[in-house]
Amino acid sequence: QQAWDMPTPYADAIFHTQNILQFADDVREATGGNLNITVHSANSLFGHAEIRDAVRDGLVPIGEFLLSRLANEDPIFALDSIPFLASSYDDAERLWEASRDAVSERLGQQGLTVLYAVPWPGQSLYLRRDITDPADMAGLSFRAYNVATERLAQLLGATPTQVEETDIPTAFSTGRVEAMITSPSTGANAQAWDFTTHYIDTQAWLPKNIVVVNTDAFEALSDDDRAALLAAAEAAETRGWEMSRAETAEKIAALEAGGMIVSQPSEALAARLQEIGATMTAEWEATAGPDGAAVVEAYRNQ
Amino acid sequence: MDITLLSALLVVVLFGLLLSGLWVGFALLAVGMVAMELASSAPMGAVFARRVWGAMTGWDLTALPMFIWMGEILFRSRLSSDMFAGMAPFTRRLPGGLLHVNVFGCALFACVSGSSAATTATVGRMSLPELRARGYDPAMAIGTLAGAGTFGFLIPPSLILIVYGAATEQSIARLFLAGVGPGILLAVLFSGYVMIWSRLNRHRMPEPEPAPTWRERLRALGLLAPTILLIIGVIGSIYAGLASPTEAAVIGVAGALAIASLTGGMTRANFVASLTGAAMTSCMIAFILAGASFLTVAMGFTGIPRTLAAWIGAQDLSQFTLLAVLLVFFIVIGCFLDGISIVVLTTSVILPMVMAAGIDPIWFGIFLVLVVEMSQITPPVGFNLFVIQSISGRNIFEVAWYALPFFLLLVLAAAIMTLFPEIALWLPGTMMNS
Amino acid sequence: MRKALDYLYGAALFGTCAAMVAIAALVFTQVLGRALDQVLVALGQARLGLSVPSLGEIAGYLFGVAAFLALAPTLRSATHIRVTLVLRAFGPAGDRFMTGLVILIALGLTGFITWAMGMQAMTSFQRGSMSYGMLPIRLWIPQGLMTLGLVIFAIALLDELIALLRNGTAAFRDIERGRDITEGGH
Ligand code: NA
Ligand code: NA
Repeated sequence: QQAWDMPTPYADAIFHTQNILQFADDVREATGGNLNITVHSANSLFGHAEIRDAVRDGLVPIGEFLLSRLANEDPIFALDSIPFLASSYDDAERLWEASRDAVSERLGQQGLTVLYAVPWPGQSLYLRRDITDPADMAGLSFRAYNVATERLAQLLGATPTQVEETDIPTAFSTGRVEAMITSPSTGANAQAWDFTTHYIDTQAWLPKNIVVVNTDAFEALSDDDRAALLAAAEAAETRGWEMSRAETAEKIAALEAGGMIVSQPSEALAARLQEIGATMTAEWEATAGPDGAAVVEAYRNQ
Repeated sequence: MDITLLSALLVVVLFGLLLSGLWVGFALLAVGMVAMELASSAPMGAVFARRVWGAMTGWDLTALPMFIWMGEILFRSRLSSDMFAGMAPFTRRLPGGLLHVNVFGCALFACVSGSSAATTATVGRMSLPELRARGYDPAMAIGTLAGAGTFGFLIPPSLILIVYGAATEQSIARLFLAGVGPGILLAVLFSGYVMIWSRLNRHRMPEPEPAPTWRERLRALGLLAPTILLIIGVIGSIYAGLASPTEAAVIGVAGALAIASLTGGMTRANFVASLTGAAMTSCMIAFILAGASFLTVAMGFTGIPRTLAAWIGAQDLSQFTLLAVLLVFFIVIGCFLDGISIVVLTTSVILPMVMAAGIDPIWFGIFLVLVVEMSQITPPVGFNLFVIQSISGRNIFEVAWYALPFFLLLVLAAAIMTLFPEIALWLPGTMMNS
Repeated sequence: MRKALDYLYGAALFGTCAAMVAIAALVFTQVLGRALDQVLVALGQARLGLSVPSLGEIAGYLFGVAAFLALAPTLRSATHIRVTLVLRAFGPAGDRFMTGLVILIALGLTGFITWAMGMQAMTSFQRGSMSYGMLPIRLWIPQGLMTLGLVIFAIALLDELIALLRNGTAAFRDIERGRDITEGGH
C-alpha cells in the first residue's frame, strides 16, 4: 500500500483540479486502494513555482503545473503559448500530438514521466473598452507575465505591464493596467466583470497543465499499479479535454451573465493577431532550432 | 502513528522547546522535523530547502522590510514623537487619550499594509515608546497595539484575503470590500473598550494634558501635518494607480526619508541606524516565517489539519453549531500555526462543508480573517506577539495576557458578524451589483 | 580573530542593507516610470513603458538574500526572539547551561538546514535552473547567497558557544539580561 502526496497549483473549483480529484479516485479504485493519492490543491503543499522541482527531487512522487512555466529552460515548453499557432481545440490536440514526444523526452531527462496534459480554454482579451481597430491597442497598458505575453504586447503596439496575479483587480480598478489576456475560466472565476467590461473572444492559444510523476517512483510501482495509473491518466486526459471544451462555452456565458460585453474580434483585429502569430511562430522556430522546426512541421503536415 | 497521539506529541515538543528558550524559528523548524520524521518518508532537508526557498522569495513579502524601515525612519527622525505631541491636545477630553492612537493608527496603516506583522511593527515602533514616555499603562498600551495590529489582515489590502480568494476562487475585490465593515466594527469595539477601561481605571491613566491654547493647537497641527501627508501620500499612490499595494511600501520609505531630511531629522547616523534596525527586525520575522512555512508543509504531509477538519465535517452540524465548532477548532490550531498556514491547510476541506451548510463564501472569508487575527495574538505562535516582544522586551506570554481582552473582542466581533452577516456583505453587494 | 569575526558579521549586515536599498531603488524606479507615463498620457503623448523587468522575482530574491544574510548580526544583537521567562528562575549556572543547550540545538539545526540549502543551490547550479519571468535569472545565485547567510549564522552560533565556554557568557545573553533589567519587573 502506498500513499502519494500530489501538490497542484489551482483551487478546487477549477476544472483541472476537479479532473485530478477524479483521477485520484480512479487510481484508488483501480488499484484496490493500493495507491492512494492525496491531492493538495491551491499551492497548499508546494507553491506553483516549486512543484516541478519537488517532483523531480522526489519530495513528492507526482504533481501538476503549467507547462509553459518552464519556457525559460527550453523553447519546446513554450510551444503551446504561441498565439494563433493552434487556436482551437482540434489544433491544440494535434499540436500536443506532434509535440508530446519531444516534451516527454525533455522532461524524461529530468527524471519525470509525463502522465497527461489538459489545456486551458483559449486565451482571450479582457478590456475596459471595446477595441475593433488594432491601432487602438497602441499605448494600452497590457498585462505581461512572461516573455511570450511581453512580446505579444509589444507586437500589438501596447505597453507591456507587469502585474502579479493577485494584484490584477486592484491594478485594473486603479488604471495601472488596461488589458489582459487569459482564459474564460480564469476570468470568470476571478469575476472579471468586477474590474473589466469587454471580453473579446480571441482564443489565441490553449496553454496546458501537465501532470508528471517522478520516474523512480513510477518504476517502483508494481506492474498492475503502473498499468492502472497509466489507464487512469489516459482517461483523465480524455475527460480533461472534454471538460475544457465544455468549460469554454460555460465560462463565456458566465462572463456575459456577470455583465461583460462578449464579442468576436473584428476582422481587422483578427487579421493583425494572425500576423502577430506568424511572427511569433517564426521567432520561436529561430530559437528552437531544427528540432523545434520539425515539431511544427509535423503539426502542420498532420 | 495515530494522529491524536502525534498532535499531542508535537504540541509537547513545541512548548518544551519554546519554554527552554530555543529561538522561535528553530522551535518551529524542530517541530516540523519531528512531524516529518514520524509521518512522512519525504526527504526532510530537501523539503525544507524547497519550501523555504519558495516561501521566502515572494513578491508580497518585500513590502514587510520596507514598511518596517519606514517605521524606523519615522521613529528615529522624531517625526513620530512630533505626531504624538501633535495629537495629545486633541485627545485630551477623549476617555483613554492617546491609547486610541494605537487603534486608529493601526486602522489607518492597515489601509496601506496587507499584513498584520508589518502593521504592528510599524505602528508599535512609534507608539509604544511614546505611550510609555507619557506614562500610559504598559499593559493597555501593549494590549491595544496587539489587538489593533491585526487590522492589517482585515482592512484591505489583505494578504490573508488574497490567499483565501486564490484558494477558493472568490473575487478578491469583493473580499476586500467585505472586510471594510467588520474592520470598522472592530475599531469601534476596541475604542469603546479603551474608553470604558480608562473610566474604570482612572488611577492607571496618566494625568490629563493641560488645556491647550489656540496657539498650541495650531502648533500641534503643524507637528501632525508631515505624517498625515505621508500617510495620505502612500494611500493616494495606490488609488491614483501609481503603485501596487506592495510597491506603496517603498513610497512610504521614500516619503519618510524626504520629510525627515526636510525637517532636519535625518542625519547619516540616523539613516544607517534605521536601515540596520529594519534589517534585523525583518530578519527576525523572516526567520520565524521560514520555520512556520516548513511547519506548514510538514503539517500538510502529516494530514493533521485536514483530518481534524474532515472529522468536523462528518458530524453533520447545523449552521450555527458548525460555525461555533469551527471557531473553536480555528482558535486551537491558531495557537500553533500562523494565519496563512491555517487558511492554506484547511480551506480545501472546510469550504465544501461551509458551502453545503448554506454559508456565503465571501462572508466565511471574513470570518476566517477574524479567526486568523485571533491566532496572531494567541501563544505560543502568534506573529503580533513576536513583533511586540521584539519592540517592548516583554515576553510573548505576557503580551498575550495583555492582549486577552482584545482576543475576546475579536470573538465577540465574530459572533456579531454571524448574527448580522450584512456587516460584511452589504458593501460588496451594494458596490458590485452589475 | 575577534576583529575578523566582527568584520564578517558587519559585512553580512552590509549585504542585507544593500539588498534592502536595492529593493527600494528598483521599486521606486518602477513607480517613477509609471508616474512619467501618467504625465505623458495626460499630455496626450504615448506611454514610454519604462519598467524594471521581472521586478517581482528580483525583489523577492533580494528579500530572501537580505533575510538570510542578516541572521548572524540579528543573533549578535539579540533581536531573534525566544522565551526567556523560565530562564529567570534559574541561577547563573542553570542559565549558562540552558544558554549552552539552546546554542547547541540551534547549531545542529543550522548545520542541517545549511547543508539542505547548499545542496539545493548546488543542484540549481548543475541543472542551470532558471527563473520563470521575463528576465531569466540563474537560481543558484540567490540560493547560494542565502546559503552563505546560513554559513555565517552557523559561525556566529559557534562563536557564541566558544564565548560561553571561555568567559561564561554569550553576547546575545548579555544584551537580553540588560533588557530584562531595564524593562524591569512587573
Ligand atoms: Na490591510
Ligand atoms: Na497563535
